[in-house]
Amino acid sequence: MPLAIEAHGITKVYGAGTGAIRALNGVDLRVAHGEFLALVGPSGSGKSTLMAILGCLERPTAGRYALDGQAVEMLSGPSLARVRSTRIGFIFQACNLLSRASVARNVELPMLYAGVPRRERRQRALDLLEQMGLGAQAGRLPGQLSGGQKQRVAIARSLANRPTILLADEPTGALDSHTGMEILDLFHHLNRKGHTIILVTHDPVIAARASRRVELCDGIIARDEGGR
Amino acid sequence: MKPAALAERLRGAWEDLREHPGLAVLQALGVVLGVASVVGGFSITDSFRRQAEQRYVRTGGMDKLSVHPEAGVRSSQPSALQGANLGLRAADAERGAALEPRTVAGVSVVREVQAWVSTPSATGWRPVTGINADFIPLEGYVLDQGRSFAPGELQAGARVVILGSDAARVFFPHGDMLGRTLVVDGVPLAVVGTFQPKVFRFLESDPNLFAWRNRTIAVPAAFVQKRLQADPHLRLDRITFRVPDTGRIEGFSLNLASWLRASHRFQSDFRLDDVAARHRREQRQGAVYDLVFLLTGLLALLGGGLVSVNIQLASLRERVREVGLRMALGASGREIFKAFMTEALVLTALGTVLGLGVGVGFAWIIARWLSVPLYLRPGSCLWAFLLAGTFGCAFALLPAWKAARLSPMEALRYE
Repeated sequence: MPLAIEAHGITKVYGAGTGAIRALNGVDLRVAHGEFLALVGPSGSGKSTLMAILGCLERPTAGRYALDGQAVEMLSGPSLARVRSTRIGFIFQACNLLSRASVARNVELPMLYAGVPRRERRQRALDLLEQMGLGAQAGRLPGQLSGGQKQRVAIARSLANRPTILLADEPTGALDSHTGMEILDLFHHLNRKGHTIILVTHDPVIAARASRRVELCDGIIARDEGGR
Repeated sequence: MKPAALAERLRGAWEDLREHPGLAVLQALGVVLGVASVVGGFSITDSFRRQAEQRYVRTGGMDKLSVHPEAGVRSSQPSALQGANLGLRAADAERGAALEPRTVAGVSVVREVQAWVSTPSATGWRPVTGINADFIPLEGYVLDQGRSFAPGELQAGARVVILGSDAARVFFPHGDMLGRTLVVDGVPLAVVGTFQPKVFRFLESDPNLFAWRNRTIAVPAAFVQKRLQADPHLRLDRITFRVPDTGRIEGFSLNLASWLRASHRFQSDFRLDDVAARHRREQRQGAVYDLVFLLTGLLALLGGGLVSVNIQLASLRERVREVGLRMALGASGREIFKAFMTEALVLTALGTVLGLGVGVGFAWIIARWLSVPLYLRPGSCLWAFLLAGTFGCAFALLPAWKAARLSPMEALRYE
């Protein structure tokens, strides 16, 4: 079975000439299916850039990257969009929900771009919300939910297309500690059900809850512990 | 695109618009003003044009070519040569119609005289109109009671009369005038019929512009010529030819003018009045107003479009993160482009409908103020739709293109 993520020599350079900034400098990373990995590091270490490349939001300047066995670093824009739509689930710090669309509609959004038929979309969204304990909130607007509930909607949304990996960028950063822990418990629960999770954080306490911790420093992996 | 996909896209566009209601309203405002300007302006000119057309239709249609004696001849001060020509005569009507028998479908004649008219109920000087058989249908008169003149009565100049509704009311206030006697210059005439009242008001507040027609006292033309005027030349005050194919009026007019000049010793002692040409002139004047309103609408749409582009670009700046989110969730650049264009289309459609309402409302107020019945031409609405659609789409292209080219990561990081 191919690895969920297999990246070799990932380099990312922004700009050119003397002003060029090397955000990543030949990162090698292998993530198996079902791993719960925390990507940690100080600000400017390159963890957000690595997450963007792993999430197919950006192409590396150099290096090879295979997602679930498929090389994606040279794919065209529409093909990358397709990969994002079907294989990657994003969870952001700010939840990033559409404020005027209902909770269910927000969860449906990735399925809309994946071409899932309307009825199936709606049913799957309701099922996911039910799993997140938000079945009764499906028709509400995001503004009517608490911060923790919003993040759970965002997690439901990230699961909509049954992706290969979940990429969470500081998912508890905007939450109080209690709610943050609840969200982390949810991630553990999902991981136990087989989901591969990569969590970007600068908080060592949160990182400690992951089974594997990868520390980035100045664009390279400084430490990788707890891996299988 | 499948209907279900289109419906999905439209639903998505609607929800996206609801995310930014203020910007959506501002964006649609340009379309509303442009469409309102085109529809409102066109409706006003169309209403006036329709009113003018109705006037022509009610006076007997636009398919008529009339010949009048020149003013000098009419006022009995003709030149020696004109005097020798004797003016328009019955023969001119018959032979003029014979010039193009397939073109001319009827010819009416008029000979008028001021006469002393009396009944036991009323007396006075009145114009008495000598007519022929074609006069009634050509001039748009409709019999109310009784009958028309028989061919024999017309030829012989019989002592019979048909009265307009007002004339009938004045001279026979108690009704029941058929068969009774009306005396014209001492000659007793039998009333054989009455005309239905004719009403036309250019503006609703105007008096009836056809009131004079209701005062008509119609007698056979030969009666006026022979009995009242003792005119051996059977002169006429007007000849009207009906040419159903209005496209042939111009040619017939040239032919008739040439023949009349030749038969009147090459003197232009007559004047041709082509109703269709007059109508065409008025239509051309109306077309100028159309053009003015169209240009006004275009300018409004252009201005609105430029404002809309700026608003959309500003809106894009607000929505960069949203675009990034959508891209992260799987939307391709093409999807984003289509979504922005669909939003623009939905806004244009809404703006057009709203503009249509505003334009019609505006036209209704103006029409009411000017007392003209409002007339909406489907073509005007179509023009407005086409213009608004074209402008709406054209001005949405740049923002949609810019949105589609955003880098997902940069968009997500946008502050």
